[in-house]
Amino acid sequence: MSEVIQRDTMLSYITGSVESSAESVAIRAINERGREDLENTPFPTRKDEDWRFVDLKSITKSQFCKLEEANAADVGDISDHYLPEAMNCRLVFVNGVYSEELSSVEDLPNNVIVGNLAANADNNSVKEHLGTITNYDDDVFAPFNDAAFTDGAFIYVPEETVIRTPIHILNVFTDAEKAFYATPRLLYVGEMFSKSTIIEEHIGLADNQYLNVPVTEFKMFTGSNVHHARIQRDSKKASHVSRPIAILDKNAEYHSYTICLGAKLFRNDPRVIQNAEEVNFTVDGLVLIDGDQIADTHSIMDHRFAHAGSHQLHKVVVNDSAHSVFNGKIFVAKDAQKIDSFQENRNLLLSENGKVNTKPQLEIFADDVLCSHGATIGQLQDEEVFYLQSRGLTEQKSRELLVYAFALESVESMEVESVEKLLLNEVIEYTNRDEK
Amino acid sequence: MLEIKNLHAKVEGEDIHILKGVNLKVNAGEIHAIMGPNGSGKSTLSKVVSGHPEYEVTEGEILFNGEDITELDADERAHLGLFLAFQYPVEVPGITNKTLLREAYNTIARANDREELDPIEFEDYIIEKLDVINMKDEFLSRSINTGFSGGEKKKNEIFQMAVLNPTLSFLDETDSGLDIDALKVVSDGVNKIANDENAIVMITHYQRLLNYIKPDHVHVMMGGKLIKSGGFELAEELEANGYDALEKELVLNGEAQ
Ligand SMILES: Nc1ncnc2c1ncn2[C@@H]1O[C@H](COP(=O)(O)OP(=O)(O)OP(=O)(O)O)[C@@H](O)[C@H]1O
Ligand SMILES: [Mg+2]
Repeated sequence: MSEVIQRDTMLSYITGSVESSAESVAIRAINERGREDLENTPFPTRKDEDWRFVDLKSITKSQFCKLEEANAADVGDISDHYLPEAMNCRLVFVNGVYSEELSSVEDLPNNVIVGNLAANADNNSVKEHLGTITNYDDDVFAPFNDAAFTDGAFIYVPEETVIRTPIHILNVFTDAEKAFYATPRLLYVGEMFSKSTIIEEHIGLADNQYLNVPVTEFKMFTGSNVHHARIQRDSKKASHVSRPIAILDKNAEYHSYTICLGAKLFRNDPRVIQNAEEVNFTVDGLVLIDGDQIADTHSIMDHRFAHAGSHQLHKVVVNDSAHSVFNGKIFVAKDAQKIDSFQENRNLLLSENGKVNTKPQLEIFADDVLCSHGATIGQLQDEEVFYLQSRGLTEQKSRELLVYAFALESVESMEVESVEKLLLNEVIEYTNRDEK
Repeated sequence: MLEIKNLHAKVEGEDIHILKGVNLKVNAGEIHAIMGPNGSGKSTLSKVVSGHPEYEVTEGEILFNGEDITELDADERAHLGLFLAFQYPVEVPGITNKTLLREAYNTIARANDREELDPIEFEDYIIEKLDVINMKDEFLSRSINTGFSGGEKKKNEIFQMAVLNPTLSFLDETDSGLDIDALKVVSDGVNKIANDENAIVMITHYQRLLNYIKPDHVHVMMGGKLIKSGGFELAEELEANGYDALEKELVLNGEAQ
């Protein structure tokens, strides 16, 4: 005897229907596909292996409306958030909507495109790659973005072109009367031997509740190279569920660094897929959470061909009753020999009520590979604290410095000075919250 | 300056008693040496005096310039001018020597209503101190003790001492792990720092250190107590006859417990 249980879908938490208003036929086709997936995929619960540890209440106890119905506040002056290195290379999205006024793109090398998707919908690369790279089975969030997005960022770097200024993709979210949803989208196409640095930022300007579901797709052709920093500073009441994915051709390099500071619920599922031999990639993360924040990273490093070097350092600091989850999968397919993959998850637990679940996971079907993984959960070492204190530093200052030191390594991989500064300030602010 | 009276201490939360009635008086301008076999409680004494939370004082008191400091935290004791050069200096990856020392220097200055140094002033100050023990300036920007050799760690402790300029320093086996050249350099440094207004307590197993830094008083620690005190000749006697002979002698004299 079996009982058919009608499970909720993503749409259960959305007011009204998700209808496309996209002008582009190509985008509308993806919207259509997304809607179908959404209707047919149940919303995850804790019974699903991939969601075991995550409390999704902050989504399921709410209803999210379209931006138009939320009565969102004006964005105001956000120039403080501009990066000096990227003054002429910035795309701004306010609550998920492209702002031509706040964006600034000038003086880029020939044929480079840094613009919005809607305006470039007829571009061949957009037509060819948009929506083809994401591939999340049984997922409701990528399809939700698929169903709802009408615009986004598009970056195209032609063959043998190096963009020296970092490209700043700034997503800001304003206060609003109602909880709304946003579906930022980014398509990056790097042609052969191209190179660039992307700073993707999400900032909540107020402390309102909203649902941020970004999808980023990176198509990396032979020998192309990207440094992708993602900084999540959403409002402390927001939920942020990310689907960043990259697919790498021969000799491509993709290095991503995700910094999680904000959001009540952060779920990030980065995936890097090897599409040819000899690639290099990084999937690093730094998570600093406190209060009742939840940060969950489920990553996949998917080695499908021989000769890859991949690296993942996921660092987490947990305070108060915050909760971090890490599940890092390393896949190595049967014929993918000579893989050198390294994964490490280091957790620093600052409070008794903080929680850490960590599960590195190797699935290796080739025999000539070098894969290592490890996870540590530690507290600040008493001997270290005493050493600093014996030199005159207060206990608070000693702890602060030690947390700072723990986070520093990740911050230093940002490569853009103003971003490093900004993050160091965030780290200091984080460690100071303790004092109150 | 320092007066330790009948000090008893045990491991916090456990029934392991280590110090069993230590008495020690150190005046300004003096250099003391404490010798004693492994496990006799020398390091514990230095840690208890500097306020390590791992130990609990169960009896007795520690007076520093007349003030009972038994209840003070380690940083508050440092502010009063206490310093401990660790037997095993701790590695702290990610924090540079310079960051630690500037923070420490200025915190101590603040606590004593002295003027703090801004980064540029501090840079000048600290560079000058490098000379005390011939340290290369590259050590300033390296993470504290991280990847340092055994000898470099010990040198670094004395460098920190030179920078913080404490009034009373415990040097816990600073000589172990130093080759003869380094020992000379470090001893020179300590001699430069020593003056009429400060005092130093050295813990060591070897007389060779005492040839370079002449102690005014030598004490022998055994079983958690200072069982004998004397001058430099006591160190020579120990070097020649060992602790066993000393213990026997004390038993014969009815002085041991
Ligand atoms: N936290 C602790 N827990 C348990 N035992 C301890 C602790 N700290 C010290 N001890 C014990 O107390 C005794 C004294 O230790 P201490 O380190 O003070 O000796 P020491 O005289 O410095 O020896 P050494 O010459 O080897 O450095 C030793 O037996 C040691 O094992
Ligand atoms: Mg010792």
